[in-house]
Amino acid sequence: MDYMYCGETLLVDLESGESEEVELVEVEEAGPGLAAGLALYEKYAADDPLVIGSGLLAGTTAPASCLGFVLGKSPSSDNLSLVPLNEFAGAEVKLSGFSFVVVKGSSKTPVYLWLHDGVADVHDASQIRGKDTWATTDWIRHEMGEGLIQVISIGPAGEKKSPLASLGINYWGGIDPGGLGALAGSKNLKAVAVRGLGMLDGEDPQAFYDATVSLSKSADAFTGLAEVCSKTGSEDITGWLEPMVHRYRSCFACPSACGTFLKYNESPSSLDLEGVPEPGFLLFDAGAALVLKEGGWEAEPAARALEAMAREGIDLIRGAKLLAAKPVSDAAAIKDAVSSLEGEPDALWPAPQASPSSIFESWPPPLAAGDEWLTATALGYVLGICPVFIMTSGATLDSFAALSKPAAGIELTVAEIAGMIPPRS
Amino acid sequence: MTSRLARAARDPALEPVREAFTRAYSTGEFLYPKVAVYRGAGASHSWMWFADMLERFSLYDTDFIDEGALDGGLDEYDVLLFGGGDTYATARALGEIGAGHIETAVSRGALYWGSCAGAYMVLSDVDLDPFTPFNGVPGGMENVMTDPPEPRCMGHKYLAEYGVSQVFNPVYGEVKLRTDDGEELGAPLYGGPIMSAGEGSRVVAHYSGKAGRAAFPWEPSEAMDFIRGSAAVLSSPLGEGVMYAAGPHLEHPMFPAANAMIGSKILTHCMARSSRGFPYDERTAGEEKKEKLCMDIKREVSNARIAAFGLEKMPVTWTSGVKVWEPAKVSMFLETAWRRLPLLTGLSGGAPAPELEAVARGYAGVTVMVKSVVRLAMRGEDSRAEALTLLDTLKELTARFLSLYFRLLLDDMPGTCS
Repeated sequence: MDYMYCGETLLVDLESGESEEVELVEVEEAGPGLAAGLALYEKYAADDPLVIGSGLLAGTTAPASCLGFVLGKSPSSDNLSLVPLNEFAGAEVKLSGFSFVVVKGSSKTPVYLWLHDGVADVHDASQIRGKDTWATTDWIRHEMGEGLIQVISIGPAGEKKSPLASLGINYWGGIDPGGLGALAGSKNLKAVAVRGLGMLDGEDPQAFYDATVSLSKSADAFTGLAEVCSKTGSEDITGWLEPMVHRYRSCFACPSACGTFLKYNESPSSLDLEGVPEPGFLLFDAGAALVLKEGGWEAEPAARALEAMAREGIDLIRGAKLLAAKPVSDAAAIKDAVSSLEGEPDALWPAPQASPSSIFESWPPPLAAGDEWLTATALGYVLGICPVFIMTSGATLDSFAALSKPAAGIELTVAEIAGMIPPRS
Repeated sequence: MTSRLARAARDPALEPVREAFTRAYSTGEFLYPKVAVYRGAGASHSWMWFADMLERFSLYDTDFIDEGALDGGLDEYDVLLFGGGDTYATARALGEIGAGHIETAVSRGALYWGSCAGAYMVLSDVDLDPFTPFNGVPGGMENVMTDPPEPRCMGHKYLAEYGVSQVFNPVYGEVKLRTDDGEELGAPLYGGPIMSAGEGSRVVAHYSGKAGRAAFPWEPSEAMDFIRGSAAVLSSPLGEGVMYAAGPHLEHPMFPAANAMIGSKILTHCMARSSRGFPYDERTAGEEKKEKLCMDIKREVSNARIAAFGLEKMPVTWTSGVKVWEPAKVSMFLETAWRRLPLLTGLSGGAPAPELEAVARGYAGVTVMVKSVVRLAMRGEDSRAEALTLLDTLKELTARFLSLYFRLLLDDMPGTCS
């Protein structure tokens, strides 16, 4: 497949600090996106690797083409586990100049991996050792002189290999059901920073562009996590969040804007760019907020707790499950409660309702029944399109699969794509 | 990767000139010229467009010279290319001696092509200090008056002082030209002269109308009425050679038909002259280190361009003389090296390791400088001095990179001359 991926597979050995490029054959053999990622994992499984990649259409004009992933073995369960890379991280991975990245081995000292334009550098991270994810993101962006660098990092929880540790994206936490943050911590890998100014080529660029614009225009777009909740049949959180909502934000190329910025350190109506430096928290997934709400938390303390967990690099859902039963409200108590989580044993993610044997945990939340949810999620990870968008856009699954033809010259059906992701063994 | 730039580089209009010069190099049938591109004091980034154009014509025997290089004269060059920038700064830096060297080289048979600032400088009617020593193209500029009307837009690019008068730019962007053989083509006008021919000069092309993308400091219809019919390109023989003055940048890489026009003038000039062979036998191999060194260069250029992208988002500009530099110009210098790196790595010729190392070190230094300017700009502090030093360094380094790259391309060409 000559299109929609640039570069080969990067193999990084943290033990030696060396990296090399190896020929990418997995897309041809197994399929694009997560299918290739799973094949690469199997190939290097003995090294307990982290595999980083993106879907076929990630980083393109396809609507919601924001999805990449980190794949690895959960230190807690020994199951294969996935961290979705949304926001702008998946697109940057695609444009980094490497199609997939396999990180194996452990470094003796803390390091971060800097992927840019087909160059991979393993840098010393001693200056950010012990720093939270916010400070880590700031430091790397300052060091490199560019604010759009996407930083996938661990916080103190990951460094301590806490079972609750999460890989987070920039400042806003992550969705890490299996605790791959702890696996990164065991490798002394503090962060993966990604920026690429590369370009992708399509088999029929004009036809691809036309099809993606048409799909974007016809989509049912929405704003805010409250709407996601209403679509999933979850509890209505509109009134609970509303007093703090400042703005909505979408991930890369997405017509919908799930991201909901909550301001609690200054008035949500403030538009002052010179206001407080850290006015609140950008929430990309409602799951953790819902868990806290159900536990009786008020909205503002809940938002502060989510921020604190994101900073510490604690998985928001699992952390929220442990915090839910003991609501607190003042800032110091929230900080203490979150700090104490690092020593807690793991809390399980909600099991996927549709298929317990699937590699997919309950992200995205089940927006459709059984097999349909599973198929749409597989489609998302293979194509690099956010499954939340796939399931809420009103477009057919076939219309997403059909993009593979003008993109890469391959005709993939929905059933073929679903078949690329085997059940968890 | 098929960018617009890559597509323009493959435009069929360029092929006859490229084919002819490739043949000239391999057979010695006629002159394969040695070219000088001026990139010294006052030059803007537009000299890099000449590098793009020369590469399209396989004209690799090229030096990127500054005012210091003129001390030894220009007699070794067959083609002299002067682009845009701050005309005053360039004329002052070259001075009477530089003007004399240009005149001597052309009189002995060289071709001079001046675009924009390079055209103003050699127009005979542009003779106030510091332009007095520069001549060669009889003619004057029409876009000058003592009290030009207020611009509708592009105020920062609208005026430049000329004595008690002001040179003004009624249109800024793509314009249409009609050549003396009836061809119509587009080229960007970025403050270059709108000219009238003097005695002894010939109108090679005149402004014929509005093209696709342009900004209009004047009402569009008034602006086009003003420039339509005026000379866009003038030429004049001087001794054995010829001088061209072009208002628009026909060397701009997005305008292959305009490139082809310059190419055809250079080709015609060279076909009337004999080959003189080349002393290129000094290849210093460093093949075993080349791949690593090329990766070092790639790493540093990538770091610099990522930081430069951050700089582009800052609301700052820097003024040097009459030239306004925007942050995007930093990226343009870096892109010039960046898009050639895959080719540099793939060239079969051995590369001089010390030169590759020096280029890699140079770009590492540039990265540090870009980050420093970013941080100053982020804090809202004055970044002018650092930015101008950065731009000077980039100009120097880009010339060094291109010289190395062109030398390797020349080594790689099949032919009897090397």
